[in-house]
Amino acid sequence: MIVAKLIDTTLCIGCKACEVACQEWNDQEYTMGTFDGSYQTKPELEANFWNLIKFNEFEKDGATSWLMSKYQCMHCADAGCLAACPAPGAIVPLANGTIDFVHENCIGCGYCITGCPFDVPRLNATTKKAYKCTLCSDRTAVGLEPACIKTCPTNCLNFGERDELLHLAETRAGELKADGFADAGVYNPQGVGGTNVLYVLKHASEPEKYGLPKDPVIPWTVSLWKGPMKWMGTLMFWGTVFGAFFHFVIYGPQDPEKHGHPEDPSDKS
Amino acid sequence: MATRRTQVTNRNSEIRIPRFDAYERVMHWMAALSFFYATLTGLALWSPKLYWMATMMGGGYHIRGSHPWVGVVFAVVMGVMARRWANGMRLDADDRIWLTRMHKYATHDHAALPPSGRFNAGQKMLFWAQLATTLALFVSGFVLWFPEWMPRSLRLISIAAHPLAAIGSITSILVHVYMGTAAVPHSMRAMLRGYVLPEWARFHHPKWYKAWRASHHV
Ligand code: HEM
Ligand code: SF4
Repeated sequence: MIVAKLIDTTLCIGCKACEVACQEWNDQEYTMGTFDGSYQTKPELEANFWNLIKFNEFEKDGATSWLMSKYQCMHCADAGCLAACPAPGAIVPLANGTIDFVHENCIGCGYCITGCPFDVPRLNATTKKAYKCTLCSDRTAVGLEPACIKTCPTNCLNFGERDELLHLAETRAGELKADGFADAGVYNPQGVGGTNVLYVLKHASEPEKYGLPKDPVIPWTVSLWKGPMKWMGTLMFWGTVFGAFFHFVIYGPQDPEKHGHPEDPSDKS
Repeated sequence: MATRRTQVTNRNSEIRIPRFDAYERVMHWMAALSFFYATLTGLALWSPKLYWMATMMGGGYHIRGSHPWVGVVFAVVMGVMARRWANGMRLDADDRIWLTRMHKYATHDHAALPPSGRFNAGQKMLFWAQLATTLALFVSGFVLWFPEWMPRSLRLISIAAHPLAAIGSITSILVHVYMGTAAVPHSMRAMLRGYVLPEWARFHHPKWYKAWRASHHV
């Protein structure tokens, strides 16, 4: 069974209880940042801060409002972090759809940061390993819902079977449309095969306004490296090795006795 | 093999032509050793199928730390090599003709080749190819070293450019190793002991040999 989180951004009141629950459950120290005049706790995710409520300012018809969004790992079906990771066993896709980081196997190269189209993983400067939301794999394994879901006071956050939540999301989007939000819809980007974190957005055609990428895909340079380039490299390596070997077998080494001297018009001595 | 060695050695036993001084030999083998290490650790991260090499070399976490440092050593040595050799590696008119007749070189039709100086055109091309790939490896490697501080666009380019440059550099070194060990007998002595014998020099690097003779009045 694939599990998912559903975030109904229209119900978020920006209380940040989920941020606190995430820090508490995962036993993360809070690092003070710089205050940049925003209600947002931090400008970005950090190695020890995996769940960020974004207060996106939105202007329409002269009025400013907030488009709330909860930012964390999206647990992609086709995960860019996993595609880019060179260390077997460091990023593990679980049977329930969670993309889990296993730190014993992490080598700290940071390729997952580059592979992730959502720019989610972060390196810890001390341990030199990459961290991000685990979808509370240590809770879901024993049948509990993730800490953020558990704590949300408004039912903005839901957790459960992905198919059911997708259905719920469509229903909610339909209700919003009926309420006059013609652009309402579900964020479930297909470029990464769909995500296990789903959003209901009032302005679904403009996810950038929520700080979400519009058409996230695994970066083509990562696909190039993991795909065609791998073939090319293997071919060139063995081609050269066998080429050299058979050159030797056919022609043998260079031999001044047998092979004559290079032409040199001035060297007729 | 044995007979040839005796022939070449006996005929010119007294005369040794210095080819690479100690500075050049140390520089070359430092390049080779650091390149070898960076290649093994790099290949370990290139494909999960080769990850056993990481285990062999002290584990993935360890080589993630050491690979970039050894890469820096390699790049610095290549810089030293460039200072020493870049001048002598410029292609002259003969070299340009040589390159168009490279197939003659590969098939041992040496009479059809224009004479080479201290380095032949193939060696010169290897040198320039190595400098180019080293530069590419160094710049892209530096970006990949510190992902937290580098702009995403640069990281995206580097994650493909670094292995691409490595493929180019590794394949050209494979050819180079073949040439230096099996294809050109006695060239290894030049790089290990520093000298060559006249017959070797006359055959492989006629212009260089003549210049040496002229300056030594032999
Ligand atoms: C372990 C592998 C290597 C072996 C066995 C090897 C062997 C040799 C030998 C025998 C020579 C002397 C050729 C002559 O007398 O003309 C030479 C020269 C040279 N080597 Fe290497 N080498 C190795 C690795 C490298 C690496 C990694 C580099 C640079 C990235 C390099 C760069 C050069 C250059 C530029 C020259 C002078 C031009 C030439 O001979 O091609 N070598 N090497
Ligand atoms: S959002 Fe990023 S870190 Fe999370 S699964 Fe997708 S690619 Fe990996």
